[in-house]
Formats: sequence, C-alpha cells, structure tokens
Amino acid sequence: MTTPSPGFDRRALMKAGLFGASAFALPPLLTACSPKSSDGNGGSSDGPIRVGVISPLSGAWTVYGKAHSAGFELAVQEINEAGGTLGREWELVIADSKTEPQIVTEQANRLVREEQVDFLAGTFSSAERNAAGPVATQADKLLLYPTFYEGQSQEFYPGVCNPNIFMFGPEPSEQVWPHMEYMVEKHGGKFFMIGSDYVWPRETNRLTKQKLEELGGSAVGEVYIPFNTPQYGSVISQIKRSGADVVFLSLTGSDTVNFRRQFAAAGMKDNFVVWTVDDEEAATSGIGPDATEGDYVSFDYFWSIDTPNNEKFRAKVKEQHPDVIMNTVGVAMYNAAHMTAMAIEEAGEVSTEGIRSALEGMTFDGAPQGSITMRAEDHQAVLPSYLVQAQPNWTGPDDMFKVVQSVDSVEPATAQCDNLPLSEA
Amino acid sequence: MERIISLGLEIGSATLILALVSMGLALIFGLVRVINMGHGAMLALGAYLAWTLTGNGVPFPLAVVLATVGVGLVGLVFEVLVIRHFYEHPFETLLISWGFYLVVTELIKIIWGSTLKNIRNPIPGTFSIGEAGIGRYEAVVCLVSLVLLLGTGFVLYRTSVGLKVRAMIQNREMALMLGVNAPRMYRSVFVAGAAMAGLAGALIAPMFSIEPDMGTLWLVRSFFAVIVGGLGAIVGGTLVGSALIGGGTVLFALVSKQVFAQTVVFALAVLALRFRPVGLLGRR
Repeated sequence: MTTPSPGFDRRALMKAGLFGASAFALPPLLTACSPKSSDGNGGSSDGPIRVGVISPLSGAWTVYGKAHSAGFELAVQEINEAGGTLGREWELVIADSKTEPQIVTEQANRLVREEQVDFLAGTFSSAERNAAGPVATQADKLLLYPTFYEGQSQEFYPGVCNPNIFMFGPEPSEQVWPHMEYMVEKHGGKFFMIGSDYVWPRETNRLTKQKLEELGGSAVGEVYIPFNTPQYGSVISQIKRSGADVVFLSLTGSDTVNFRRQFAAAGMKDNFVVWTVDDEEAATSGIGPDATEGDYVSFDYFWSIDTPNNEKFRAKVKEQHPDVIMNTVGVAMYNAAHMTAMAIEEAGEVSTEGIRSALEGMTFDGAPQGSITMRAEDHQAVLPSYLVQAQPNWTGPDDMFKVVQSVDSVEPATAQCDNLPLSEA
Repeated sequence: MERIISLGLEIGSATLILALVSMGLALIFGLVRVINMGHGAMLALGAYLAWTLTGNGVPFPLAVVLATVGVGLVGLVFEVLVIRHFYEHPFETLLISWGFYLVVTELIKIIWGSTLKNIRNPIPGTFSIGEAGIGRYEAVVCLVSLVLLLGTGFVLYRTSVGLKVRAMIQNREMALMLGVNAPRMYRSVFVAGAAMAGLAGALIAPMFSIEPDMGTLWLVRSFFAVIVGGLGAIVGGTLVGSALIGGGTVLFALVSKQVFAQTVVFALAVLALRFRPVGLLGRR
C-alpha cells in the first residue's frame, strides 16, 4: 500500500476533486482551481479568501460528514454568487479527517502551512476539535466548530476556552436542559445513561445529572461503551433491571444504530422511553422507523422545523445536494460561513483579530433555525432548542420528526474557562 | 433463577452470533490456510445484497438465500482470478485479500453510497421466560448459526467429502497422492467460506447498522475467535473461541465496566495463545 507523497500529489488530487465538484455542482467555485496567490501570504488583500475545511469524509463518522461539508459549501456558493466578501471570492480546500484526531492535526497543519488558508472550519468530534486546537493557536488562525459538544471547561484547553475557536453548535445547557422538566414530568426522573466512551458523552452526562438532581430525579445507571461494540445483550438486561424511566443516550456512529436496533428487537421500547442527544436525521435514517418510533431527540435544528428560513434552506439543499441528509452539524457549518463573511465585511479585512472581534456578539437572522447570536465573552452560540419525537412509519427526514417542545433562544451556561472574555485571555 | 436464564440467553446469543460471523473465516483459514482479510467486506456485501433485495420486494428469507449465493459467486470469481495462484504463499494471500477488502468496500460506497441503511426486523416480538427474554429474530439467527455449525460438523466428520477435506488438513501431500482433487477442493472450500460470510452478513443485517465498513466491527473479534479456538478445529474451535470472546464479554460485564470487560477478554485470548499457540482445541 503506497500513499502519495504528502506534497504535490495530494494537493493536486484535492484540486482535481474540487474541480470535479465545482464543475458539476458549484459553477461559481471554479476559481478554486486557479493557481493560488503567489505572494504566499494568507492575509493578502487581493486574490481569493482561502478556507480550510476539515470534514469526516471517511471513517467511522462518514455518515455525518456529507452534511458537514455540504452545509459549508452551500453557504460559500451563496457568498460567491453575491460577489464574494470585500469583492473577493471564497476558495475552499477540503480535507478528510478520516474521523481520526491525529489526521486532523496533520491536515490542519497542512492547510495552514502549505495551503495557506485564512482560517479553518470544521472538525467533527470533540476529540477532533481538541486535536485542531493547538494548531489554530500556534498558527493564530480561527477555527469555526460546528458540532453539538460538551461545553467548555479549562481542563480541555486548547480544544476549548480558546480565543481562536468559535462554537456554532449547541452544548448540553442548550440541547438537554431546556427539555428535562418536560421529560421528567411526563416520563419520570429515573434516567439510565448510556454513551460512547469519550469526552462528549461523559461531560454531557455529568451536566445532565447535575440538572436531573435539581429536578429531583437521579441516574440509576451510567454505562460507557467502547467504540465499535457490536453486541449489547448485557447492557440491555442491565437496563431492564435498572427500573429506569428514561434511557438517555449519547452513543455515536454505528454503535448507536446497533444498540437501538437491538434495544427495539429485545422488546424494550414498550417499557422504556428513549431520549437521544446524538441521533440526528442521518443516524436515525440508519436505525430505521421500526426501532425509532416514539423516541425523543433534541437539537438546535431539525430538517423538519417550520421556519421561513428553513423552508428556503431546504429547497436549496434539495436542489444542490439532493443526496445529502442535512442535519444540525451541516446547518452550523452553513451559519459559520455566513457569519464569518459578515464579520469580514464588518472588519474590512481578512485577519484573525478582525474576524474575531466582529464575530463576537454578532447576530445572524438568516440561519435556517431563525436568529442566532455568537456570544462575545465565551464564543458560544445562542441557539433555539427543539425536542422532537420520531413518528410512526416515517419514510425520510421530511416526515421523521414532530416537534414536541421548542424554545426560541437559549443562553448557554457560561463556559468554565479561567479567563473570560476569551478574547482578552 | 430468571437472572441465570437471562444470562444464559445473553451468553448463548453473543456466542452463536459471533460463531456465525466467524464461520466462513474459520473454514477458509482452517482448510486452505488463507487468512481471508476480505471476510469483512464479504459480510458487508451480504448485508447490502439483502438490503437491496428486500427493498425490491423480495421476501427476507429468499433475500438471505440470494445474498448467500451472490457472495459465494463473488468468492468464486475472486478465487478463480486471483487466490488460486497463491495458495502456497500465505503472506501474499493476506495482502491480496486485504486489497480485496479495500476494493470491495470502495465499490460498496460507489454503488450504495455511505449513508447508513437498515432492514426492518423480519420477526418482531420477543420470546419471554418470566422476566428473561430474547428477541424472536435474534433467537432465529442463533438457531441458524447452530444448524450451520452442526451441518458443517456433519459434512466434515460424517461424509466422504469431509474425510477428504480432513485428510487434506492432516497431511496435504499424502492426500494429494491418494487422488484428492486439490484444486477443486480448495475452490469449493473458498467459495463455501465466502458464501457463509454472505449468509452471516445478510442474517445479521436486520440487527446491525448496514454500512460499508461494517465488517471491521467483526474482523478483529472473528480472528480472535478463530485463532483462540484452534487452527483446524473448525466447528468446535469456532464455538469455543466465540464463547470466550463473545460470551466472556457478557460474563465480565456483569462485574465490571464494558471497557474493562472487552479488554480483559482480549487479554485472556492473548494469554491462552501464549500457553496454547495452536489454540484451545487446535492440534498440529
């Protein structure tokens, strides 16, 4: 097995890939193939604005990867059709994270040093973001991070609490807390928590338990599953014996699919309510209607939410990326690109410092979920929050979920960072 | 009592499903000494064929049969074109079958895309014994696995074909001299192993996530099951190996965390190999 030498070959390949993509789907992006500006300075004031996008295009989380990059591409296409930013077109360099943190480090370095991008967008899991954090800090480039995540706590610096990173996805105080009262009142306060064994599920569960105890409930079980576990017989009988009311789920990737299919096949759905904070439209598609019916999911965005912006957004996705299952992460990428474009216009230049101070406190009314704001002090997005329920015999994302409860705008809990506001850290 | 029945069911199911998934690997490895790294892709192919067929209105049992035949045919083509030239070179077959895995996985991505697929549970509902219970479909798959193991055992130990095959394992040259048609035997074994992978892939498809890389989930576990069980001890070895890897995890998960249970089982497997390099039931 040979790999192309990391220099010219891979870059040529990437350009060829982009050429293909732009030739077929994104005519305005054809400039992506033009030779890059020769001065070699990312902050140059002429030539295109170069963005490095790191998406999980292969590996365990491929299922989320398409929406991830498509959301950003869609926004960039809109930006370029409107004449670019400061009169400059955007040019994308898309890199595959292969869902592995060490590849993220490699790719982030390559994008910054060789491709000389102006800023970075993407990475998917918290582990990937934490791998990109040090690169962003060293190179003093911004990273726009789209995924629902565990919140910020100083011990995970520089992956979080980093003045160079902006979070466009929801954290537990936005994704989970607003719906806990409803769930506890309706279904009971005994939660069985099952998650994949890494930082996001562990932190999410810690914060969920904290709120649960305030509401008089408790966690009757807490289990973490190593990645790529096929069989769940023992966990399922543990849940059966636990006396739980709600199974609170933060498994990811194929593990969540395998667990939920086996959970349903074991007849557990009659006795337990499932609430997942991972399974957006793509993962739910993989689990299928029989095993998801009646289960709860919560996020800041769902394909089926009824807002004027979302209607337009859906039409565009269907036209440009008909094979992509759009989700919260893709939408966060979309918002990230648009808000950054606005920030560049406001700053009047493409610089880390300029974009950062303009992004801080910025409100964006064009988000598919409505109006969202980037909070200045800790770079966390103020987002809406939806609790939905999977419908019987759904056939696709259009009729998959029905909104049970929604909150228009949730202020996330303040980040647990040593120095706030972040920009003065 | 119910706890014990429930535990028995879990261990039985974990063991039999792993045995089902590992059987094709064990057969090819045990009889023709090819370490078939393509096994995972064959599993995935079986699952995807079953998905396409059921999606086009073919009843699930028929879809399973067709997926088995389909993957068997792919195995046949692969054997005729490539593998048969390399039986004497185990290391090369390892690399070649790994190449097969990569190619087939990419082909699956091209043909079916990388979004997750699912097959509706063909037999919903559960069998319950008091508080203990098992999904009906899961029970059926376990039963099929058992039948497959017994059937393979019967063919190997009670028929003249089996006699020739076993002669080949014990003393290849002697068997050849006594007129065993080796090329045909090798081909049949390889195709049977591929078909078993297809069968397993199609059968587990309603219980698991169908995705291009789904085979990797099983490859490591299957390898351990086959090697710990014992080289050449095809039926018993696979069953014992699967019980150690699959059932062992269930047992350890009773008293420890999942992460620990899965780790301990693999550590035990390594330990077992340290003291019995030919596997628990293996023989030279």
